[in-house]
Amino acid sequence: MKKLALGTLSLTLLLAACGNNEEDTELDPADGTDEATEEVQESEGPRVLTDGLGNEVEIPEDPEAVLASYLEDYLTALDITPVAQWSINDGEGVQSYLQDDLADVQTIPYDLPYESVMSVEPDLILVRDQIEQDMVDQYNLIAPTYVMNASPTSWRETMREIGTVLDREDEAASVIESYDARAEETASLVQETAEGESAAAIWMIDTSLFVVHPERSSGSVLYGDAGFDIPDVVDQLSDDADWAAVSLEELAEMDVDHLFLISDAESELMEDRLWQNIPAVENDNVYTFDSQSAWLYYGPIANEQVLEHIDSSLQQ
Amino acid sequence: MERSKQSSHYKDKAFKRSTWLLLFLICLLGVLVMVSLASGYMALTPTEIWLTVTGAGTASHELLLYQFRLPRIVLAVLVGTGMATAGAIFQGVTQNGLADPGIIGIHSGSGFFAVLYLYLLTLNQDQPPVWLNAGLPFAAFIGGISAAVLIYVLAWKEGVTPIRLILVGIGVNAGFSAALLLVQLRMSESDFNRALIWLSGSIWNASWAAVLRLLPWILIFIPLSLYKARVLSVMQLGEEMAVGLGTAIEKERIKLLTIGVALSAASVSAAGGIAFVGLIAPHLARRLVGGKFQRLIPVSAVTGAILIVLSDTLARTILAPSEIPVGLIVSVIGAPYFIYLLITIKD
Repeated sequence: MKKLALGTLSLTLLLAACGNNEEDTELDPADGTDEATEEVQESEGPRVLTDGLGNEVEIPEDPEAVLASYLEDYLTALDITPVAQWSINDGEGVQSYLQDDLADVQTIPYDLPYESVMSVEPDLILVRDQIEQDMVDQYNLIAPTYVMNASPTSWRETMREIGTVLDREDEAASVIESYDARAEETASLVQETAEGESAAAIWMIDTSLFVVHPERSSGSVLYGDAGFDIPDVVDQLSDDADWAAVSLEELAEMDVDHLFLISDAESELMEDRLWQNIPAVENDNVYTFDSQSAWLYYGPIANEQVLEHIDSSLQQ
Repeated sequence: MERSKQSSHYKDKAFKRSTWLLLFLICLLGVLVMVSLASGYMALTPTEIWLTVTGAGTASHELLLYQFRLPRIVLAVLVGTGMATAGAIFQGVTQNGLADPGIIGIHSGSGFFAVLYLYLLTLNQDQPPVWLNAGLPFAAFIGGISAAVLIYVLAWKEGVTPIRLILVGIGVNAGFSAALLLVQLRMSESDFNRALIWLSGSIWNASWAAVLRLLPWILIFIPLSLYKARVLSVMQLGEEMAVGLGTAIEKERIKLLTIGVALSAASVSAAGGIAFVGLIAPHLARRLVGGKFQRLIPVSAVTGAILIVLSDTLARTILAPSEIPVGLIVSVIGAPYFIYLLITIKD
């Protein structure tokens, strides 16, 4: 009952945070697919879709240069190479876990300055977050700009919507299907080796700790797909953030059996008695990954890498 | 007789000098605008710019210059003009060289109301109304007026002494900044980022739409302040003298402050709280043409425009393709100047 209440609450928060237009348009994926197929059958002309800001966007046929900053994961899953990729610090910071596929793709600053967007000459721009209409109008001068309906925190919805926009619904559906099939494997491994045991993903920056939201990013993989138990504390902490700040005391209180630690360096926290007494630490079930790995991201590729990390951790 | 002739001769000379100076500053602004047009992430050669300006350029160059760079530069000019003029008015009315709407809380009052307005109107609504952005300057204006009234009321003690006004203003500034942060923290992540420009000041996403929202305010209130410049000059003679010369001093003060608030609030609604422009520009202008407001106001307006265009050009070239908020660049120039003024100002 409590879980249900929390679930409803977080759904409400999610809706409140992301505008309400997705309610009636995108939450029901079957609906969206129907609509799009209809349009394709009806006319040979350009497809027109309604985006997250309520704008009618004319989608070019077979766009070759798609700019979809911070949505590269989904594009790559559909075998589409984006025309430029998200970056911070003047191209220094990229989504490392995707670089097998994106090594040759030029970078673009995360805040998408107009001139940078212009210079990569996109013919379709997908925008992940709800931005101001003024900015969309400016981007539209460069190329048709489509603001996502789907909440960035739901990768399945995002995947389906991108499939619809790029006219690859079937491929998008099969990406989700094959991911779910892959997740089954990990789920059965978890059942075999760690049935009824709890896990948490903790992101450690110096002495600050953050715990993943149970329904977002790698949290949805850990609990929703792999089937680990959610420690009570994680459920209570989860607010409207992908990663919620957590104290060492709260972490100790979790009594967690498996700890997936995202960290780039040893921390003095690990010397603490509280840390030493965590069941996962006592039983040597702490698995460390660097902050460049897929754990902090969203998308089918990120999630599959997280599944692989879980597999190899459990088989150690 | 002799004397008055002499003084009118002197007046002519000073008038001539300041007119030439104003023309020179406008030319300087023109040159800066050209430099600014030519600089940015996408390189353009002077030939390409010339071709585009004469209408023989490629479509993409046209788009770059006319839709992305030009509105931004025009917005920079308008914001600089508005903030500098507002600064000159505030300094004149309060007879206080340190009175900058950005320092005494007018900006943060405007910013707070602008953010609150956006927050309340986008909350629980499927589609924000189409007039959402058009209402922004008005919300900012109400915020600016509230801040001004608050400062005036709190600083009133059988009249308002300049130093009291500044101290109260700094307090009001802190209060509104805190309130602004409080509203921002209740926003979702993307709204928070959007609202961040009211803290740091930025015009990187300028468009013609933004220019058109600000333009009427500048077109109405800059001429008004030029018209009222004479009153400001009279006020500098001291309250008694001004009253003696037939000035309804409290009434005029309120009118002038309203004009000042309108200019600064409209500018803030377009570019966020850029501090120090309203401080530096009038000061430089006073050094150049003296304390007469008929000359001081136009010269500070152009100086302010130069300051923002220059800062914005730096803001988008230093770390290109990434951008620095223009407000930070202005602060880097402005803060040391403010400290210099604090040290050298006579009591």
